[in-house]
Amino acid sequence: MEQLWASPAALTVREVHEQLAGTRELAYTTVMTVLDRLAKKKLTERERDGKAWRYRAAAPREELAADLMRDALDRAGDRREALVRFVGQVSDEEAALLREALSKLDDQEQTG
Amino acid sequence: MTTPVLLAVLALVLTGPAPALLARSDWPYRVPRAAVILWQAIALAAVLAALGAGIALSYSIAGRPGEPRFDPSSVRDLVAAAILAMVALVVVRLLWAIGRVAVGTRARRKRHRDLVDVLATPDGLIPGLRVLAEETPLAYCLPALRGARVVVSVGALDRLDDSELKAVLAHEQAHLRARHDLVLEEFTALHHAFPRWVRSDVALEQARTLVELLADDDARRRNGPRPLARALVALAGAPAPEAALAAAKSATVLRVQRLAGPAANESTLSAITYAAAAALLILPTITIAAPIVKAIVDAVS
Repeated sequence: MEQLWASPAALTVREVHEQLAGTRELAYTTVMTVLDRLAKKKLTERERDGKAWRYRAAAPREELAADLMRDALDRAGDRREALVRFVGQVSDEEAALLREALSKLDDQEQTG
Repeated sequence: MTTPVLLAVLALVLTGPAPALLARSDWPYRVPRAAVILWQAIALAAVLAALGAGIALSYSIAGRPGEPRFDPSSVRDLVAAAILAMVALVVVRLLWAIGRVAVGTRARRKRHRDLVDVLATPDGLIPGLRVLAEETPLAYCLPALRGARVVVSVGALDRLDDSELKAVLAHEQAHLRARHDLVLEEFTALHHAFPRWVRSDVALEQARTLVELLADDDARRRNGPRPLARALVALAGAPAPEAALAAAKSATVLRVQRLAGPAANESTLSAITYAAAAALLILPTITIAAPIVKAIVDAVS
């Protein structure tokens, strides 16, 4: 995926494989499978170029990251149930209450 | 004519005053596991009672038992049939809502997981952990039968020490293990199944809080209360671009205050709560089933 984001033009499986070969040892078929999966997930787009497919990222990395963050931070409506967040944000007053409860806990630890 | 009235009253009590009262009480937070069961029992009993009221009303309008023939010229029979049709409509609506929420939630979650998998870096600390290069402190989990993920942002890692991070991960893993998302899904479906003027989000909100408490309890048993409480404060107190301010005391305050208190062993309270849940389910079921059983017995003898 990084290779596709870095490249302005669409890449074939062979090109991605060659770029990756310098840093990692990956089988050609592995690269092919990964790219195929990414296309099925609509994270890449592909077009026929003769016998081979040419892949390009469906959206820039920043755009996907923004998508993800919007999804993760969305507190309204239906989407909430898709992720279970550890904790949401609180108001200033509540933050004060939180610190108070925490210091109570710290005191217990010292005395107990 | 008393059965439909009784069931209707039961349904109304279980949709209005009972949840409101329960949501205002503090004791359910002492026994979150039993309280989740009680909320589920209330929801299910309310649905059963409402449907049962419709069926019983239809029966009592249609006239004497032993005359099962439907007579289209009789107004009573037509009214009875119309009521039954409405009951069927409610059932279909409910099933539709359950299906829609299940499919929709899974689709959104899958899309989100795909994004996480290309954007975040795997971390071997626990299985399925992904670290997201974002400054906003975030920690959440993506439940799934297979390939569940726990996502933590770099912003969150910066604010947590080792023991706090462990507590957060234990909390999220508790969610994943116990599939708390399925509980929330039920209440979401129920919430969507009914028109705006009868539904309230009390049950859903309470279920959300209670599953957090359950996961907190699990993390507390593993790592003690302090790291978890500190992690909660560290992540909740962090400034966020779009912090929605809760008017009432939010679940976060409740959770930290609860961790500051002693670990409760409330076996009696929890037993009573379970018993109440069981009674709630048995009550409408018997009321609906009794006349049917009686009719069968009468027919056989």
